[in-house]
Amino acid sequence: MSATAYGWVVLAAPLVGMLIIALGWRVLPGRSAGWLGSAAIGVSFLASVGMLIRLLDSPEESRALVSSAYNYVETAGFRADLSILVDPLSVFMCLVVSGVSFLIHLYSISYMTSDQGFARFFAYLNFFVFSMLLLILAANFVLLLVGWAFVGAASYLLISFWYRRGTATAAGIKAFVINVIGDVGLVIGAFLLFDATGALDYAGIFAAAPEVFAENDGKLVAACLMILVGAFAKSAQLPLHTWLPDAMEGPTPVSALIHAATMVTAGVYLIARCHPLFELAPTAADVGAILGTATLIFAASVALAATDLKRVIAYSTMSQIGYMVLGVSIGAYGAGLFHLMTHAFFKALLFMGAGSVIGAMSGIQSLDRMGGFRKAMPFTFVTFTIGALALASFPLFSGFFSKDEILAYALERGGLYAILGVVGYIAALLTAFYAGRMVFRVFFGASVPEAQELERGQLAHGTHANPATGEEEDTDVGFPGAEHHIAEREWPMKAAMAPLALLAVVAGVLGIPGVTDTLEHFLEPTFEGSRFAEVHPSTSAELIGLAVGGVVAIIALAAAYRYFTGDPQARVATRERFAGVHRVLINKWYFDEIFDRAIVRPVAAFGRFGRTVVESAIVQGVLVGGTVGIVRAGTSLARSIQTGELRFYAALLLMGVSGLILYFLLVSS
Amino acid sequence: MIELAQVVQAPKIDYQGLAPLFSTIGGSLAVLMIGLFRGRFVQRTLVPAVAALALLVAMGMTIANWEAGDSRPIIEGALAIDTLALFMSMLFYVTGLATVALSLRSDVQREVGAGEYMALLLGAISGMVVLAGAENMVTLFVGFELLSIPLYVLSAGYVRRAHSLEAGLKYLVVGSVGSATLLYGLALLYGATGSTDFRAMAIAIGDTVAVTDPLLLTGVALAATGLAFKASVAPFHQWTPDVYEGAPTPITSFMAVATKVAAFAVTLRLFDYALSDAQVQWGPALAALATVTIVIGNAGAIAQSSLKRMLAWSGVAQAGYLLAGVVVGTQLGLQATAFYLAAYLFMNVAAFAVVIACERVSEHGDGIESLRDLGRASPLLAWPMTIAMLALAGFPATAGFIGKFYLIEAVVAGDYAWLGIVIVVGSMISLVYYLRVIAVMWMGRFEVELPSFPPRRVKAVAGRSPEADARAQPEVASVAILAAAATIFFGIVPSPLFDLVSDVGTSFGGLV
Repeated sequence: MSATAYGWVVLAAPLVGMLIIALGWRVLPGRSAGWLGSAAIGVSFLASVGMLIRLLDSPEESRALVSSAYNYVETAGFRADLSILVDPLSVFMCLVVSGVSFLIHLYSISYMTSDQGFARFFAYLNFFVFSMLLLILAANFVLLLVGWAFVGAASYLLISFWYRRGTATAAGIKAFVINVIGDVGLVIGAFLLFDATGALDYAGIFAAAPEVFAENDGKLVAACLMILVGAFAKSAQLPLHTWLPDAMEGPTPVSALIHAATMVTAGVYLIARCHPLFELAPTAADVGAILGTATLIFAASVALAATDLKRVIAYSTMSQIGYMVLGVSIGAYGAGLFHLMTHAFFKALLFMGAGSVIGAMSGIQSLDRMGGFRKAMPFTFVTFTIGALALASFPLFSGFFSKDEILAYALERGGLYAILGVVGYIAALLTAFYAGRMVFRVFFGASVPEAQELERGQLAHGTHANPATGEEEDTDVGFPGAEHHIAEREWPMKAAMAPLALLAVVAGVLGIPGVTDTLEHFLEPTFEGSRFAEVHPSTSAELIGLAVGGVVAIIALAAAYRYFTGDPQARVATRERFAGVHRVLINKWYFDEIFDRAIVRPVAAFGRFGRTVVESAIVQGVLVGGTVGIVRAGTSLARSIQTGELRFYAALLLMGVSGLILYFLLVSS
Repeated sequence: MIELAQVVQAPKIDYQGLAPLFSTIGGSLAVLMIGLFRGRFVQRTLVPAVAALALLVAMGMTIANWEAGDSRPIIEGALAIDTLALFMSMLFYVTGLATVALSLRSDVQREVGAGEYMALLLGAISGMVVLAGAENMVTLFVGFELLSIPLYVLSAGYVRRAHSLEAGLKYLVVGSVGSATLLYGLALLYGATGSTDFRAMAIAIGDTVAVTDPLLLTGVALAATGLAFKASVAPFHQWTPDVYEGAPTPITSFMAVATKVAAFAVTLRLFDYALSDAQVQWGPALAALATVTIVIGNAGAIAQSSLKRMLAWSGVAQAGYLLAGVVVGTQLGLQATAFYLAAYLFMNVAAFAVVIACERVSEHGDGIESLRDLGRASPLLAWPMTIAMLALAGFPATAGFIGKFYLIEAVVAGDYAWLGIVIVVGSMISLVYYLRVIAVMWMGRFEVELPSFPPRRVKAVAGRSPEADARAQPEVASVAILAAAATIFFGIVPSPLFDLVSDVGTSFGGLV
């Protein structure tokens, strides 16, 4: 089989899985929907490996293959095939997405066992993976848009999966709305590019771009900024980030899959994919780099104060994606994507661990209520700690190599970028601190009642309550079912977490400075023409960067250890001393409030405007005033039936005609 | 006598080209006669069957006439066929067939009399066919009135219900204002160009008449108004929600689709053919109308609690998208408009079929409430509605997405990029009301926030007979399913439709 044939299999497997589960859920017994869904993703992963092998077999120059199924859209102006692009970048993304997705499917089989919507969950999950792979493999903007919108829809379905929970549907809608803003940006960007280059496929656009656009051409910058809107909405970067923390209303495996490992990295992928454009429009790239840096420090600061375990991890995700966006915006493509991969491993692992802990807490997510789970949950403790160490970029863990490579690049490019790099190091300090905070607050300290019960061999059973509002809920439709499940007792959960823990430790070997550069070398054909191909920090500079990063991580972790396992009184005292800062952080820098004032309320007013002015005013006839009089005589016939309206229609007709005639007389000679 | 024969020459008539029109007009007369017989079989089976047969025959003959390229005269100087006319005729026949199926169980047929009902329907379709093939302004106006008058009557089909009568009268009054405006405009155009023939007008403009001639442009303004009224383009759309709501739902569905297609068919012919040399003058005005229409249509739809009113406002917004394809005056614009009209047909017929099925059994009538929990109760209706709503919103993998993409491409290529942005933003806003329908159907057992404004709507329009539940209306469900399947099919494999519309694009030889 050729590489592209494998590519089609990658796409087909989850689609088939989704259709079988969606159509046959009534007859699928027990957990078989879950196994079927997992098997479909497993096939996808194997096919991705097939693509990789075929690609490695072929010479480097011919590692970008396009295959068309059929002609999707063809008109006089343009054609867009239903075609996939198999090149190192897409193969790399497919491997990460299908691999992590497979493990998360496996985890979900246990986690969602007693949920009433078990089969529905796997149908959605397969649909999501299909959409994500479509987005990655698309060879033109049309198909990319299809995948892009599908992914948004799948995310909506999964966030609102427990649709009886009001906060979950609200969160789903919020995510969908922001995603649609992103879609609109991407559509406009694609058409601006089409307008100038006459092509919609990547190859055509990238080939034509240098000829039609001068450097920093206004139109190109506009197109790139629009693409950034799309990327930032998907990747939850400032200022389109507010949906991600709320998206934690979805089941925990969803958070692990969509809101940590895969979908939110789509923006990073898009910027990397469009790198020839961003290199021609450095202004847009700088905007990306600055906003990415702003996000990474902002989110890290909020993660310090958030008390909901899943939300802490969510802010951490935003922050880490900020690093990736910074990386791919400054030309450090290999480093940015390297971090994307290691992050997918350790962040999925952290979410899975959090899911296990939440199971032990019978659904409670607040850090304030947790503590002392170290002995009761040894497996979760070890794996979660590994994930946290990788996140904190503790020396020799995977995150250590990938994050510091991005920062080393930033410093190497100097100027503005050096400042961004320094901010990155400061955020790294915060990152290690909140990573430590999670571990020390959940697993250390005095055992909470739930932990004690677990030590006695029983899983706590509390009332089911919405973690966001505290309302009691019944378990008929989820949350996630009447029974909770923890990794210690479910082998599929263990089987999913163990490989990720291993990868979170060793994945760094793909890019140790001066020793290996496997990943970067593999991705080289995609980024061949890049003008930053030659910009590369020296090995010694990278090693210095690593040393600084390691020291920062160790100091922060030590501080966190002292602070969180020490005297609780001291913590209260500190919080009181910095009450103002704490309030800003707890309120997420008031972004939600600003959005509410600036956007939500005006939009609601627009809706009311639609009803009151566009429609009701007609009934009342307030607006018409004098014009009504003019036509009154003519329409007295209809006065018996709803007098005002018809007259108003005629009045409006008259005004419209007058406007049109006036215009045409103005343009006439 | 000999002299007279030389002066007054009978026009050449191409009877093969005219055959579809014979079929619909003949069918109209036939059902009127058959309808005189009483009896359940005649009224409920034979009459609809004859009407459907007439439409199928017309469809077959239209396919036989298909030939790309320039127009062929049927009645010299009055009526011609080209691929645009044939394509639009096919859309009318398809809508007509759907309407026949949707009316089968509707009690409006009994109230009006099946024969009269079907005769009026076929008469309106004949008018549309004439309109789509009109070669001069006189034929245009004849077709325009032939399509309008039966619809005035049909909108008032429930003769004993004030709401329906009100809809009919309102349609008649405002429609007459529209017709009068159009006629005035056509007269001025004749005055300016000295011809009623489209081809002669196209030659005269820019040649003997300056494109900035005030008389010509005033005529353009008035003609645009008259057509905008029929196509429910804002600010001439005000009748739409009221009439759509009051009219019997199968007729609403017919008006929403076929009338709009007809209005755009003739708008394309008048503006992109006869007046195409003055595009620089009328382009910005129509673009402004399209923008206003998109904004007002979407704003109006957001707060509706009646499905028919919501679809009416959504139809206004869709008219705005379609108008954008006319604005650019290019071959690509023509193709995109034709494509979107076909997509629009499928999406709307699917949606209206579901509304009909539900309003017959629900105590909420056509209120959005009537769809509550439909996903559980009757997935065979809920899926078509879901697909229709997604397609109307322009969701990928539906014909609506491809259609919008095509339109945006056409306007961007025609140097109206800002109009493309308006379309995109309009579609984004439209998600608010389309997705609400989906939410009610699938999450219906739980709270879905509906507009809190007091509903201003009629009670269940049709009989609400207990035997008429969704499963007992197989023809309505099949219309919904077929239309939704077509929406998805052309969203995934659009090439057959592309081939057709690229033939349509060759209709006006002179277009770039």
